[in-house]
Amino acid sequence: MRPFALNYARSAEELEVSAPYSYDSRLQLNVLPDGRIAAHEHAVLREWGATTSTAGSKTHFDD
Amino acid sequence: MTVLILTCEQDVTADMVVAELNGAGVPVVRLDPADLPGVVALSGEYVHGSFHGHLSTAGRLVSTDGLRSIWVRRPGEPAAHVAEPSAWLTEETSQALYGMLHATGARWMNRPEAARRARRKPWQLHLAQRSGLPVPATLITTFPQAARDFAARFPDLVVKPVSGTHPEDPPRAVPTSRIAPDADFAAVAFGPTLLQRRIPKRADVRLTAVGERLLAARKPAAPDPDHVDVRFAPSVGPWQPVDVPASIATGVHTYLREAELAYGAFDFVEDSDGIWWFLECNQSGQFGFVELDTGQPIAATVAKWLAGHEPEPGPHATPAARPT
Repeated sequence: MRPFALNYARSAEELEVSAPYSYDSRLQLNVLPDGRIAAHEHAVLREWGATTSTAGSKTHFDD
Repeated sequence: MTVLILTCEQDVTADMVVAELNGAGVPVVRLDPADLPGVVALSGEYVHGSFHGHLSTAGRLVSTDGLRSIWVRRPGEPAAHVAEPSAWLTEETSQALYGMLHATGARWMNRPEAARRARRKPWQLHLAQRSGLPVPATLITTFPQAARDFAARFPDLVVKPVSGTHPEDPPRAVPTSRIAPDADFAAVAFGPTLLQRRIPKRADVRLTAVGERLLAARKPAAPDPDHVDVRFAPSVGPWQPVDVPASIATGVHTYLREAELAYGAFDFVEDSDGIWWFLECNQSGQFGFVELDTGQPIAATVAKWLAGHEPEPGPHATPAARPT
């Protein structure tokens, strides 16, 4: 009874590691531990793939 | 006048736009509807023939009269973060928040009702056709025989989720996948299945539309034709800026106007003749990864739109700038 499309499903990577930045409600921005604004640190964004189009997003599918 | 951004805290793509707005001196209030009620609070009254509302979050207070635009980016489900969440409270909170926001004069990127319709991929295919965009032959069916007949006409097919969503419990991804020639289509009866003619591609194209502005980027395709889905294929090069063919630009503008979208992230594949084939339009698609590779000023363009320098989409849009 498995739908046809699910024959092509694969495990989604579940990364439990937390991002190296956290939200600062005063700035309304995510910041690194040293206070730098995460959005300005492109190397960090690349490493974490936080701005990337992905498949399997838990809450959103507008990638 | 304030820009209201509805998104979750971990959305660093929204951060890119917040930083741009900060740099331009445009007031911003950012909140996640999941934090309402609680961290986020609202109040609105309808008295003496007029409406006045307020939102507050983390020490900020904004009047609904003072909103110039609303960016629905990655909002959580209303009331999702309360101690005892329920479908009823989510609906109550959603009605209160979005109902009040609809009563403002702010313009939207994108209006929730337009966004809801725009997420439906079968409708996207139809609208793309009507807009003059090339659309690969596609079948959505629960008839196994229809799938077999389609495969006989178009022997090289891919399958992808109709909704674009992915199953949970356990979490799995369903990438666009190439179908083997001897595939058994019996299981098509167990769920609507989207089959599409595979376009032999030499590149993927992500076209980000912000208001009237189109920013396109191209990424060379992986050489293995079984690597259909760019999200899962090995990268053979970065995204690079590319000019938008005139016919595609016309089609995209038509699509956005008909869909009443201020923002859309279009996915195309480019074939060996240079034709861009429409795959889908994500009404809130990611753009940060493109900007990081290409340097295209997408965040700045979104910020500029939110700040009020471009007309809102829709049948009544005009080229004139809207006062803010």
